[in-house]
Amino acid sequence: MELSDNSSKIKIIVSGLIPFAFVIIMMAYIFGPGADLLDLGIPLPEITIEKVDFHDSEIRATVRNTGPIPVEISMADVNDRIQPAAVEPDRFLERFESALVRIPFEWNEAEPYIIGITIGDGTRFEKEIEAAAPALEPTIDLAIFFAIIGTYVGIIPIMIGLLWLPFIKKISKQKFHFFLALTAGLLFFLAIDSIEEAVDVSNESLAGSFNGILLIATVIVLSFLGLLYSGNKLVSRANSSKLAKPVAIALMISIGIGLHNFGEGLAIGASVGLGSVAFSTFLIVGFALHNTTEGIAIAAPMSRGKLMIRKLAAMGMIAGAPAIFGAWLGGFVYSPFTSIIFLSIGAGAIFQVIIVILKWIRDEGDSTLSSASVASGFAIGMLVMYLTSILI
Amino acid sequence: MILVIFVIFGISIIMIFPAISEAQSEQKTFVTHSGAVVTTSGEVLDPLYTVSSVEFDPDEYLRNFEYGRLSVSETGQTIRDYTIIAEDDKIQEISPGIFYNVWTFNGTVPGPTIRATEGDLVRVHFINNGSKEHTIHFHGIHPAGMDGVFEPVGGNGGQFIYEFEAGPVGVHPYHCHVMPLEEHIVHGLYGVFIVDPKEKRSPADEMVMVLNGLDTDFDTENNFYAVNTIPFYYQHHPIQINTNELIRVYVVNMVEFDPINNLHLHGNLYKYYPTGTDLVPSFYTDMITLSQTERGIMEFEYEYPGKYLFHAHKVEFSEKGWVGIFLVKDNPDKNSQKVEYGT
Ligand SMILES: [Cu+2]
Repeated sequence: MELSDNSSKIKIIVSGLIPFAFVIIMMAYIFGPGADLLDLGIPLPEITIEKVDFHDSEIRATVRNTGPIPVEISMADVNDRIQPAAVEPDRFLERFESALVRIPFEWNEAEPYIIGITIGDGTRFEKEIEAAAPALEPTIDLAIFFAIIGTYVGIIPIMIGLLWLPFIKKISKQKFHFFLALTAGLLFFLAIDSIEEAVDVSNESLAGSFNGILLIATVIVLSFLGLLYSGNKLVSRANSSKLAKPVAIALMISIGIGLHNFGEGLAIGASVGLGSVAFSTFLIVGFALHNTTEGIAIAAPMSRGKLMIRKLAAMGMIAGAPAIFGAWLGGFVYSPFTSIIFLSIGAGAIFQVIIVILKWIRDEGDSTLSSASVASGFAIGMLVMYLTSILI
Repeated sequence: MILVIFVIFGISIIMIFPAISEAQSEQKTFVTHSGAVVTTSGEVLDPLYTVSSVEFDPDEYLRNFEYGRLSVSETGQTIRDYTIIAEDDKIQEISPGIFYNVWTFNGTVPGPTIRATEGDLVRVHFINNGSKEHTIHFHGIHPAGMDGVFEPVGGNGGQFIYEFEAGPVGVHPYHCHVMPLEEHIVHGLYGVFIVDPKEKRSPADEMVMVLNGLDTDFDTENNFYAVNTIPFYYQHHPIQINTNELIRVYVVNMVEFDPINNLHLHGNLYKYYPTGTDLVPSFYTDMITLSQTERGIMEFEYEYPGKYLFHAHKVEFSEKGWVGIFLVKDNPDKNSQKVEYGT
């Protein structure tokens, strides 16, 4: 008995290992005797100038090897005029390695510059800066400034939006569904907005080898699935504990919006860092206005539970405060790669929240999600967002 | 899933802080032309002030003239035989750390400066060791079959003998004339051909300056400009001349892509002979403008010793390498080391 049990176990293991062995043999062949098969085309070197900072009498470019082969940085220029420079830690970059190129240069504030880097085979890469502005030094004053901006953009508008709560509390089920659908519409618009922003950053500053669009898609799906899984756990636990379902859903909405606002903070911080004052003002005003609608999104599910001022305020903080962290990160250590990641996580989180809201409407009786209140709510949510996006 | 997000964050953080762990070890300093002092733990990229150890020697090229192998025909005409070999597979460091595929005549860009006296029989034995077809097209006067246009010479050992009488007097370019012509010229297949008048020019310190450009990334714009190929070379290695000595410079503009080039001399003016065909100067100036393959002869003397710049007054060109210095040494003995040319 024991013997046959063992032999069947061995059979299972062996049958699992045999294909695996063939995979190893195949890979060994491709990289060994069959290596000629992989010799496709000519690998071209590529670097990306990810960031340009303007310091006192010096321009600093962060350069990354984003091509398939190692490169050597050989020369720097400003506006296509060759300049002496220093490269730290050294000029030889392996794949994905980066270096800092320091170019002594008496630059003028608010003027545009094109920074060029030439590598060993004579290929020149460049990045255009619309207006030179001193790099932000991480001072306490500036950190406080960003915190205030983040508060104005994130926390205060959401708190204002939460004031809709007493109103939503008093309305009928149909109208309540309307507001839930409206929330979903608003969020859907925000998700698209985040994706668009991430694509823009990818096109402007991310090397082609990162496959920006696929990176965005992958991160959105991962964050969506991750939050869907953990969100369901949260709700199912909520069903068997003190935490009420509306609170759990509102919490998820808050987290999703928080990630979105983190992306907004990044955008504001980065634009202040890039010195485009008009653009950052535009962003601050615009985000502040539309973030009041995010308050409605949190308020809508909460209106079905007891009025819990403290929990509500906490959710306002969860949704709003990340704008502050985003502004810090965007202003002090901006990186195109991270901002794309954060914006994509935000979009994935929002899609997950939309699913949860729609499921909730179905559970409450509107099983086809096609009632007048749901359809009109979703449509109006998107329209409101679109119109405010034109206005600001 | 949470773990995945953590991993993504981790990677992001690594991307934000590149090379933060690199030890700040040895510190170097360098001073720029604007006086800025930079201290760095890294490497210095400085084609402007770093003396480059390039393979092609612009100093040697500057005053090197090839008169050919001499013989005399039955009719008493001087015959000059030259050998020029074309190649197109040489990778040369043209600026510190920058490697470019040059196409060469006799292994250099520009090719050798060949020189004859008006009326001599010039015989150029051309060997094409390149992988593509090449020719030599001489500016000047010669029969149709010797023009280097309709007689492409095959690569890998193809041969042709160009034979014509030297003329007219002056400084002329020669270059490959195979299509696509721009490609063959920009890669470096050109050189200078000087025809001396029978009654020699006055003794002088003579030199050749080919104004050229290098498009190292093939986007039909020059990444470098130079006099005699190596950017900033004569800035690092000033050309030494003497006061009160006649200097004669044969200038040939071989820059492609840009409509004009120019040459400005500091602290002096020069007599200028366009194309060198006239023995009387046309201008007395410190600034000439040259279109593609336009050329001429400059003559000047320096009265005061010291350093004098010469450069393209199209500042873009000078800031991308077309700039040099004359180091004028005091020469108390007027009329001393003047050299006679033409043998
Ligand atoms: Cu050719």
